[in-house]
Amino acid sequence: MTSRGRLAIAIAVIGGLACAGLPLILAGEPYLMRLVTMFSLLLVLAASWNIVGGFTGYPSFATGAFFGLGAYVAAILQAKGVDWRLALVAAGLAGGILAAPVGYGVLRLRGHYFAVASLMLGTILKELTTGWSDLTGGGMGLTIAGAGGDPEVLASFALRVSLALAVLTVLLGAAIKWSRLGFGLDCIRMNETAAAGIGVDAQRLKTYAFILSSIPSAVAGAVYAGWIGYIDPTDVYDVMWSVKPIVAVLLGGVGTILGPVVGAAIFVALEEIVWRNVLSFSAGGLGVLIVLLLLVLPAGVLPSLVSRKTRS
Amino acid sequence: MQRRTVLMGIAAALVAPAIVRAQGSDELRIGAPLPLTGPLAPEGQKQKRGYDLWVKEVESAGGFEIGGRRVPVRIIYSDYQSATPRAVQACDQLVTQQRVHALFSPFGSGAAKASSSIAERYRVPMIAPTASSREVYDQGFKYLFGTFTPNETLTEPLADMIMAAAPAIKRVAIFSRNDLLPLALSAEMKKSAVKRGLQVVFDEKFAIGSLDFASALTQMRSADPEWVFVGGYVNDLVQVRTQMRDLGLKPQVLTMIAGPAYEEFTQALHRAAENISSAAWWHPAVRYEGVDIFGKTENFVQKFLATYSALPDYIEASAAAAGAILQLAARKSGSLEGPALRDALASLDAMTFYGPISFGPTGQIEKLVPPVFQIQEGRPIVLAPTSIAQGDFRLGIT
Repeated sequence: MTSRGRLAIAIAVIGGLACAGLPLILAGEPYLMRLVTMFSLLLVLAASWNIVGGFTGYPSFATGAFFGLGAYVAAILQAKGVDWRLALVAAGLAGGILAAPVGYGVLRLRGHYFAVASLMLGTILKELTTGWSDLTGGGMGLTIAGAGGDPEVLASFALRVSLALAVLTVLLGAAIKWSRLGFGLDCIRMNETAAAGIGVDAQRLKTYAFILSSIPSAVAGAVYAGWIGYIDPTDVYDVMWSVKPIVAVLLGGVGTILGPVVGAAIFVALEEIVWRNVLSFSAGGLGVLIVLLLLVLPAGVLPSLVSRKTRS
Repeated sequence: MQRRTVLMGIAAALVAPAIVRAQGSDELRIGAPLPLTGPLAPEGQKQKRGYDLWVKEVESAGGFEIGGRRVPVRIIYSDYQSATPRAVQACDQLVTQQRVHALFSPFGSGAAKASSSIAERYRVPMIAPTASSREVYDQGFKYLFGTFTPNETLTEPLADMIMAAAPAIKRVAIFSRNDLLPLALSAEMKKSAVKRGLQVVFDEKFAIGSLDFASALTQMRSADPEWVFVGGYVNDLVQVRTQMRDLGLKPQVLTMIAGPAYEEFTQALHRAAENISSAAWWHPAVRYEGVDIFGKTENFVQKFLATYSALPDYIEASAAAAGAILQLAARKSGSLEGPALRDALASLDAMTFYGPISFGPTGQIEKLVPPVFQIQEGRPIVLAPTSIAQGDFRLGIT
């Protein structure tokens, strides 16, 4: 069996075991469950950002936009009595449907221009959501039907769903990286003009990558909405939903399959430590720590470890 | 080598908090997640000032009385960065890791609602000092108690008073910040107006952070309202008032919530603040004789003034009241156990500096009557309830 096949099977088996076992192991530790759920959601966002930002080399800040959209689509549908599974699917579809035209248009821009344009998507959606208060409740926010039951049951359920979604997203990343699409994205990242020269349909592949990355982000938003039970535009369209996954991937290793896993774990751990120990400068403290880490391990933790191993 | 040192340091930092989890058992611990950073930071600071004043008062009294002895009080703060999920996480952490005996809820209805399930799950009483929406309390929870009455208790007495003073009024304009509390208040104001046969000729929202209201106000002027209601916070309301004057928009009655309750409002507007009517859950002009640690309302106002050199507003008073209420309940229960404290809170019926405290079946405060007031000669004058009224309603604005 190839090393790729082994890695894919390892991800699936370990992920599957985690989904089945962790909720049982952590049963008496609701706080740890919450942290692992947080980690899983961040991992979903990080792994999906990696498809656009890592494989393709387009620094997207639109992750938060799809996250918020997914949260609202799922919350509104659930309020109308739609089953939660269908709501998750609908959220993913909504993300993909929005990503197609946006990606097709915005991915013509490169570098900083693309980053700024993608950042605007979240702002626009936030304004629309706030303004359309008949449907979304506007600034009053939305309460998700079904939340507010036994918190322990909800916690273990949210943990399972988010972990499963995280495993699927990491596998999706692997599948893309090893496919023809991934090869094309590689070419685009290295030199888009040259890629077009050898017949890579850059516009089409980039859009595919953007769509594939938006779907898990939107589903993550839907899972989040059901988990927290209350959403409002400032919460779910927060720019931090776009920034945190990027930082996590940078910490773990850009463009690698397991980088988002390592990075999200480090990020959640750091965030937790700083937040507990520093009262009013936690965001600043976290920023300083991250800058230090990036200076020490510029390519991310995973590539740095690998290169050290090959050197010695 | 350097790299290894940094990594070791980080690893040590990771392990440290897990080891240091020592807690004194002979003290009262209260968990208070606050938005100390982010957009809600001003409100978070207000809440904190109320708590701190209460703790100071308890300390100078020699501690928190429980079962015949006095124990020190410690409020464990946690900054949730104005983000609801972090507020919920903070509550979870405070209960399961810091083992707090009680929680003071995060700011506002949304975050209070989201985090109340934590209190319910672990049977830790939670007092919400800044959550008014009915939806927070109708979840069937037993451990959640709130010190704000539902929003219509602000709009109904206002509408009554205005209709009595100017029965000829027919046309109302409603303008609101697109945010949880102002929107909820505006929705109630609309109901109160429609109920009295008034015609709502203008009903619009403005985005959070708006500075220019000219186009909306021009539209409002052409609708020719006799009564204008604006919902928002101090900064919004000062801007709206100033721009109304610039545009020559002069309704007979101008009502604004929740800015005029703050001292900053009259300071910023001077003459333009005259005759603006408002309502709040509490006001420094109210007079109650409490059995709580602060006793008379005047006493509380004085102590607050001495500590912070400013008059307390309803958020600060409500936060301090949360502490005072907990104290009254603990005196009754004689125990810091969650269920005992909860039962004592549920059956509490006492007067405090903040007003009469008794919680209904949903946990929301019942007998408190929010005062209606109007800015007259640069000072807020209480007009209702009649028992504490200081003046009469005046028509017209400058």
